[in-house]
Formats: sequence, structure tokens, C-alpha cells
Amino acid sequence: MTTYAIRRVLQTIPILFIISVLLFIMVRSAPGGPLTAARRNPNISKEQIEAIEEKLGLNDPLPVQYGRWLGDMFKGDMGESIKFRRPVSEMINERIPNTLLLVGVSFLVTLLIAIPIGIWSARKPYSPFDYTVTTVTFIGQSIPVYWLGLGLIVIFYVTLKNPFSGEPFFPVGGMNTRGKEGEFLDTLWHLALPVTALSMGWVAWYSRFLRSSMLDVLHEDYIRTARAKGMKEQMVHYKHALQNAILPLVTLVALDLPSLFAGALFVETIFSWPGMGRLFWDAAKGRDYPVLLGVVMITATLIIVCNILADLAYGWLDPRVKYE
Amino acid sequence: MSELAAAPPHEQNMAWLITRRFFKHKLAGIAIAVLAVLVLAAVFANLSPYSPTDQEPTNSFEKPNSTHWFGTDELGRDVFSRILYGGRVSLTVGLFSTFLSIALGVLVGALSGYFGGWVDSVLMRITDAFLTFPTIFVLILLGAFLREQQAPWLKNSIVVVIVIIAALSWMWPARLVRGLFLVLREKEFVTASRALGGSHTRLIIQHILPNCIGPILVSGTLQMASAIITESGLSYLGFGVQPPTPTWGSILATAQNQVFRAPWIGFFPGFMIFITVMAINYIGDGLRDAFDPYVIHTSD
Amino acid sequence: MKIKLLTLFVVLGLILSACGGGGGGNTVTLILPEEPTTLNFFLADAAIVRQVADATSMTGLATINENGEFTAVLAQELPTLENGGLSDDYLTVTWKLREGLKWSDGEPLTSDDVRFTVEVLSNPDSGALVGTSGFDLITNVETPDDLTTVLTYSEPYPGYLDQFSYGLFPRHATGEPADMANWDWNRNPVTAGPFIVDTWASGESISFTRNPNYYEAGKPYLDGLVFAIVPEPAAQSAMMLNGEAQVHLWPGEFKADYDEFLKGKAQQYLIPGIWNMAIDFNLSAPFDGDPTAATPHPILGDLRVRQAIASAINYQALQQDVLKGSVSDSTNPFAYGWYKCDLPRKFGYDVEKANQLLEEAGWVMGDDGIRVAKGAKYAKDGTRLSLELQGYTAFDPLQLTEEFIVENLKAIGVEARIQNYDFSIIFGSYADNSPRAIGDYDMLIFDRGFTTEPQGYNFDAYHSSRIPTEANPTGGNYFRWVNPKVDAALELAGSSFDTQVRKDAYCEVGQAVLDDMPQVYLYLFQDNYGIADSLTGYTLNTWGSMSWGSQNWKFK
Repeated sequence: MTTYAIRRVLQTIPILFIISVLLFIMVRSAPGGPLTAARRNPNISKEQIEAIEEKLGLNDPLPVQYGRWLGDMFKGDMGESIKFRRPVSEMINERIPNTLLLVGVSFLVTLLIAIPIGIWSARKPYSPFDYTVTTVTFIGQSIPVYWLGLGLIVIFYVTLKNPFSGEPFFPVGGMNTRGKEGEFLDTLWHLALPVTALSMGWVAWYSRFLRSSMLDVLHEDYIRTARAKGMKEQMVHYKHALQNAILPLVTLVALDLPSLFAGALFVETIFSWPGMGRLFWDAAKGRDYPVLLGVVMITATLIIVCNILADLAYGWLDPRVKYE
Repeated sequence: MSELAAAPPHEQNMAWLITRRFFKHKLAGIAIAVLAVLVLAAVFANLSPYSPTDQEPTNSFEKPNSTHWFGTDELGRDVFSRILYGGRVSLTVGLFSTFLSIALGVLVGALSGYFGGWVDSVLMRITDAFLTFPTIFVLILLGAFLREQQAPWLKNSIVVVIVIIAALSWMWPARLVRGLFLVLREKEFVTASRALGGSHTRLIIQHILPNCIGPILVSGTLQMASAIITESGLSYLGFGVQPPTPTWGSILATAQNQVFRAPWIGFFPGFMIFITVMAINYIGDGLRDAFDPYVIHTSD
Repeated sequence: MKIKLLTLFVVLGLILSACGGGGGGNTVTLILPEEPTTLNFFLADAAIVRQVADATSMTGLATINENGEFTAVLAQELPTLENGGLSDDYLTVTWKLREGLKWSDGEPLTSDDVRFTVEVLSNPDSGALVGTSGFDLITNVETPDDLTTVLTYSEPYPGYLDQFSYGLFPRHATGEPADMANWDWNRNPVTAGPFIVDTWASGESISFTRNPNYYEAGKPYLDGLVFAIVPEPAAQSAMMLNGEAQVHLWPGEFKADYDEFLKGKAQQYLIPGIWNMAIDFNLSAPFDGDPTAATPHPILGDLRVRQAIASAINYQALQQDVLKGSVSDSTNPFAYGWYKCDLPRKFGYDVEKANQLLEEAGWVMGDDGIRVAKGAKYAKDGTRLSLELQGYTAFDPLQLTEEFIVENLKAIGVEARIQNYDFSIIFGSYADNSPRAIGDYDMLIFDRGFTTEPQGYNFDAYHSSRIPTEANPTGGNYFRWVNPKVDAALELAGSSFDTQVRKDAYCEVGQAVLDDMPQVYLYLFQDNYGIADSLTGYTLNTWGSMSWGSQNWKFK
């Protein structure tokens, strides 16, 4: 198993390399740059802008810039944000926990809801319950995240008010109320709406998937055998079917990671959540290359790591799978 | 389906059986009807009495009424017409990016699954690489990057969006098709054909591929639903189809400033995306149920 | 289980929301749509920096008040000819600081800090993007005592007051002048301003507390400020509605709608801004590899065509109906300030005249409603009157304007094709092949800013020596306009200290713009702010920003 893990890790290095080159070319060969907004300012002379671009090394040939960037990356230095003049690694470190919190809690909520739903609807396929649940989850999957987010704000922050205090039910954004940074309950309260917006789609996806994967498993021969042996229906259902149906779910989760960040980006923007998605979005608008490259490389690495972990978990969960 | 039509009688019945099974799934039937309405509405958008760009600034922010079914926006433009034209963009992008994505995916998956060996390794490594891209980030970068190039064909932002969505979604059909090929190529009919001297191409196209149609169609519906959501998301962020072409996403984006003044401008585009994607999802669900028991067995 | 979870959620939410919420008494919350990259105004690459920096690091020797007048802040009085602060030959300026000034960390603020500021802003390696004009003209700085600074200039510099209106640097709390871009001070400035940074939660908010050493006793009245970063426009207005914020920067809603929505809570206020929207015409032939003015534009080279375009635009409808009165009329580049020129439009909205002009210019109506050249001045017979209208993306008012103009032009048989590029392309450099720099465009529409000191920008934009070419890539005369009268007027304006002489010269340039029409001015943006009714002492200042004068704010 360890050899497998190591082999996988080694295989990812060329992938990361290719990704970095492609990204670098894309991001840096686009015209304009971080100082473009400055050009519009009537107070700034063009000569000043040219001088600064020169100083930042933005005029060097691309391969040179890439080499420099790569060299720095190996030293663990992701460079400095051109706009904020802060180390990229510092900025990313600030934001990762926030995104992980948002995505993690959403994930948890999703699983807590999707797994029971998936199991129940697999128990009685094509029943009214199944159809209702399918419909509700399809609704969740079809609503665009940003539309939902806006809707949630309008409903829970503007229209409906808490009958006890007259204040809105949920906050409109940010991670904490001023003065309560780091307070767990306050953060949870601020997470409520963003998590709802984010998990609606996933609940649909995962519960459907679990349902169909359980249906597949329930038809397998060995289940019939277990039933014939007289085990209680419930036991059969939960223990055997679930165990086997969970496996594809693990793979699905791993494959789904890139879209995690997509949804998170929209949610972070609408709810002013200071996460990685927001960081990327602000950097994209401002053409802040070091930040863009840093965020994408870190995210890609995270995805790869999660994929490997998922594969290993799959192998561990399913004794039939052997890795050399 | 033409291969099936030319095939022996029992396979002809399969197409009919699949269709029957599909419509047994009631909601899927309704979904097809809904989608048909949407497509027709988009195609015949120009029949609307209002043009999506005609401005009547003095008539702005009208609530939905009998003259303007969806009300008017900040320039007095008829929102209903804009939604219809927006539907054209969404459906076009959804359809074509899905075609492109599936075409690419089938190509890669078929070659990979059929030949195996180093072909498979290389193609799968490339697929893996694409799979590890944080999609939304790359989409934004690509959208921004390609639009900044001043080549004339890139000026059509719809084409750009179709291409970049396809470029980042072909991996799933590829994996699917590869998996199917891995299973199917071991079947007896393949060995038999090889023994009879069939070329690889003939084998792939005429014999194995038809059996994949079911899962590919299902996957296609999922892709299309996802493409529509992605396109509108990109337009919403400002990196998708450029104004003045109305698209559901960009109408939503400009509606953000008027959420409290004219909520209908924001409501309808989101609602349309929702209905369209719902319909497509149900169709996919129906297709999955319709094809499920038949795919592997018929060719035995 | 789902229902139980949901109930738990709801109850929790109710309880929490009853405990949470609410702000902090004597603190004002301000809404920003994006995060400023620094609090050092001189490194500002975007307007948003000033909106926050004004509350902390921009208190300098003088400031520009809402009437456009300079007033003394940290200085005892403004140096003038009358009080001897400005010498008769205009070459010596003496600044005297108030007594007992302290920085926010308690250190005394002395003339040495003024000297240091000069050192920094005159250093070409400092990385400063703004506010450095004229510092290279200062040849000597003397500090005879802690309160007095004597500056010697190599030539008379009319902007000698403006220079010191954007803040001072403390020598003891910053660093080397050449390293300004990397100072820690940029994110947590030691200042003479009313507020100092408390916490900067990246991506979320910047909190300020009052500066205990602020020079005006008793001020600021507030205990603190919080700048909240909220990208979503709907969320911004919602915050104003719930009283969670008191100041809203650049609300997206039109004033009538905003006031309606926030009745009783807040209102929107409009003041003239510094962004002037105009269409630039390329007077020379585009896409011919020649960036100079050598070949006239086949269509736009003819003055009558430009006049026709100007006559086709319904300015009133554009300003009042399309933009709902959020902009005011503007006819020439000198739209506000001490050099404002009240020049009437030569070609107002007159569709008949527009059509007539085009007919005269040799453009006949074609079958598809677009005119075709027949005996036109520069265009070959059969050329369609089709022009590309370039603008930048992601800015609603600009888009609305473009779409409106396209319709207006269609009515006189002119086809305008909107082609918007990203900001970075429109405002890119010659090296980047930015269309306007290399002369590859027909019409360009964008808003340009102006300042209290107009010479630098306007010389660059209108003087014939500033046409961007290979040899002169940073030139700003994008229309490729050559007008000797304008050249002379600009040179005069730059050499005189007499405000009246300068103003007259600028107005001559303005009139020439109206006569020769290298541009058509559309409107002047108003700065709009949403301000809660509970806040008082707020002064709106075109030359300032959202947080200008924050030391005077208090709650009713």
C-alpha cells in the first residue's frame, strides 16, 4: 500500500509541473497587468508606471519569469502579491482555514442529510416518498448557487425578522460579528446561510448517487444469499448494502473536489466570506499574478492529495481491492 | 440509432422498448415537454413583439403586467424578450459544449479503453491532469485570457465559452467510455469479429460504440445541465458571454443592483435556469431508467 | 432525522440571533465593495485606497475643502505671497507647523518629518504612483526649528499647496525612502489622522479606533470606524436597511429607488465627481500600422461626420432617463473645479441636423438602414458607415450608455458595434498593443478623471507632441489631434502662476475641443454615497472621499 501511495505521489509531480506551465503562460501572456488601474489615474504619469513594471520584473521574457517563479516555489516562497505587497503564502494561509471551514461544514451537513435520504429512497424505490425526495433533491441540484444565495439573503436577512429580537434571522455576511472574532457559536451563525446555499446542490447529488448505487448493490447475488439465510431485512440493508455502496461515494467525493471550490467561490462572494475563492476572484480582477498562480497551485495540490487519500481509503474500505 | 434500425428485428424492438420504458417515468415525459417548450421559445424568440435591445428609458422598472409579461428592466427593455434570447445562448452553449465535450471524451475514452497499454496510460495521465484542475479557477482564467487575445474568431464570446466549458468537461465522458470499453472489448462478439478480420475502427464504431449510447446519453444530459449552470455562472461573474448579448447569467448580474427595486429582473433568469436544468435532469433520470437493464445484454 | 436537524437549526438560529447582532455604540460602519490594497495613498493604484486612507494617513499640512479651496490643517496657515510664506520670486515656500503636534504613537511631529516626506516623494525608487509631482523641483529643504520648514524650488511651481495636502510620513515609524513599497507602515500607519488601525481582517474588514493624539481637541467624536468589505450589492443595501452600516460607498441603485427602499433609515447623496464620460474619436486611420496622424480616418476624419454623431445623441434622455439623474451634464474636459469652463454644446441633440450633415458629407442611406459613402471626403464609394465602439467591461453605467448610443446612432444610419475589452486592454500600454495607444480604434468611450492640478494630464492629452508612437510610447493624445492654437494655450497654462490666466487658457482649449470635435462629452459622474440619517457632521467633498472629514462625524 505504501509503495502505491509513493508511486501515486511521484506521478503527480509531472502533472503539477504541466499545470503550472500552462497556467503561467495563460496568466502572464495576457496583456495588461496589476498596474492597469493605475494607468487610468490622471495623477500618475506613464513613465512612473513603466518604471515600476520594470522594477517588478514584469517586462522580462516569460521563460525567465517562469524560471524565477519556479525556483522560488521550491524554496517555499510563492512570491509577493503585487497589489497588496504581502507574501502570497501569508495571504493564502489566512484564507484556507476559512474556505475549509465553509466547505467542511457544508460537506458534513450534506452527508448528514444525503445519506439517510439515499438509504431510505433505496429501500422503497419508485414509491411516493422516493418521488417526493427525488423532486426536492432535483430542485436543490438545479438552483444556481448565486441565485439561491441572493434569495436567502432577501428572505432571511431582509424580509423575515426574528420575532424575539426584531433583528434579522441570520447575518448577511462575514465570518464573525465585530468583536466576536473566533467565537464558535457566532461563526456557526454566520455559516448558516452560506452553508445552506452550498449544500443544497450536493445533497441532491449525493443522495441520488447513493440511492442508485445502493439499488445496484441490492440486486447483487450475495444480498439474495444473505436474505435467504434469514437475516433481518434491516440488517441486510444497512450493513451489507451500505458498506458496498459507500465505496463509489468515496470516489465520487474525491472526483467532485474541483466543483467544491466553484460553489464556494460564488458563496464566498455573495456572503462576503473571506476564503480562497474570494481571494482568487479579487486577484483575477486585478491581474495579481503571484496570487493567482499560488491559489491555483495550492488548490490543485489539495485536489491531488485528496484524490490519493480517497484511493487509499477505497482500498482500505474494500478488502477486495488490492494495490501493489 | 441508425445501426439499430438496420439490425435484425429483435434489436429494432429495443429502441421501441427503451422509448416505452422512458415514458413510463412520468416526470421524464413531462420534462421532455417542458424542454420542448423552452427550445421552441428560444428558437422563435424573434416572434416576440419586443426586441431585447429596444430601450424605452421612460418605461423602466415596470412590474410584470399584461403588456410586459416579465416586466421591464432599468432601460425599459422587455425582460421577457431578453429572457427568450438569453435562452438561446444558454441552450446553444449547453448543447454545443456538450457535443464537443462528448466527442472529445468518446475519442479519448474509446482509444484508451480499446487499446489499453501505453495509449491508455498516456491518455489517462492527461485526463487525470485535467481532472485536478480547479475547474472554476481555470475557467475564469481561460475566459479572461482568450477574450483578451484579439484574434477575430475569438471575438465571438459564445464560441469561446463553448470551447472552454468543453475543454474542462470532456474528462467525465472519457472515463465513462473507457470503463465501458474495458468491459465490452472482453465480450465474445468482439473476439468473434476480430477473428473474422474486422478492423479496429469498424469494431469500435460499428460494434462497441452503439452499446455505449445509453450511458453516453445519460452522461450527456448531466453534462448539459452542468454546462448551462456553468455558462450562467461565468456570465454572472463577468467572464462569460459578453454584453450586449443577453444571457440568463448576465441579466442576473445586472439585477443585483436592483434586487429591492425590481426583484423580477433577478427572479426570472434564475428561475429559467432552474426550470431548464430540472427538465434536463429529469430527462437524464428517465434515460437512465430506460437504458439500464438493456445496455450490456443485447449484444450477447 | 432531517426534520429534527432542521428544527435544531431553526431554534439555534433564533437563540443566537437574539444574542448576537448589533454594532458597537459609537462606531460607524462603512461599506466597501472591495478591499484596498494599502493605506498609503501614494501607492494607491485604485480609487478605493483613498476612501479608507482619508480616515487615517492622509492628514497633511493642508487639505482641499468641499469648495475646492486649500485650508491649513497641520500647518498654522497657508503660505501665501501676502504672509510671506511664498517668496516674491515664487521660489521659496515656508511652512510653519502648529505647536504641540504628535503622531499617533505619541512621538512629536516636527519639521524633520516634513523634510522626510520630501525625501521620500522625490526619490524615484520609492514606488510612489501618485502625488509626486513637483517634488523633483525642490532643491533644498531647511529646518531652522522644529516647527519651520523652508523649501527652495528650482522654478515656480503652482501646485506647491497641493503637494502637501495628501499626508506626511513619520521618519521614525517608516523606513528607507527607496523602500516605501515594502514598509510595514503601509498596512498599519502611524499618522496624524483622526483614526488608527486596530485590526485588518483580510478580505473581511478593517477596524479603526480613535487616535488619542489627534491634534484637534475632543475630536474625533466617534470611538472608531469599521470598513466592511462586501462585494455583493444586494447585501450592501440590506446592511444599510438593517442599520448595520451607516455609510455606503457608491450604491448601485438610483437615488429615487434607494431613498424609497431606505426611507427613514438612510438617503443617497450626490455631489459632482471627477469622472467625465466622453467618446474619443480616432482622427487618423486605424489598423494601418501607422500610429501617427499622417492619414486621416476614412469616416471620422471628416468633421461633419463627427458633428453628426454629436447631434444624434439625446443627452437629456441619457442623463435623466437612462442614468436616472445620477450624472450631470458635461460639455468639455474642464467640467469642475477652479478651472471649470461653462461652454455650451455646439452640437446638441438634433436628429434632422445630424442627417443633413451626413448627407452633405457624402453619405447616403443604404438599404439596410446604414449609410453608404457616395462622394465622401476620405472614404471610398460604397464604404458602410460602420464604426467600432470600444469600452471596458464590467461597468454598468458605461454599458447602458453604450447601448443607448448605439440606438441613437442607428436612427441616423450609423452602425456602431460595441466591442468591450477588459480594463487592462483599454488602459494598457503601447507595448501591450492597447488599441488606443497604437491607434487601432474608431471610437472609444470611457470616463476620465481630473484633479485640482490640471496641467500634467491635459497637456498629455491634447498637445500635438504627445501623440503615442513607437518613439513616444507614453503619449496621451489618443485622438491624434494636431491643433497649434491648443498647443500654445496649453504651454501658456503651464507656465503661469496666475489662476485667471491659466483658466482662460484652459477654456480656450475647451472651446477648441467643441469646435474641432476630437471628443464628444456626455456627462459627469456624480459621486454617490448612502448615508444613514442617524449620522451627522458628514461633509461631502468632491475633492475628498467617503471618509474625508471623519473627525467631525457623530451620531445624533
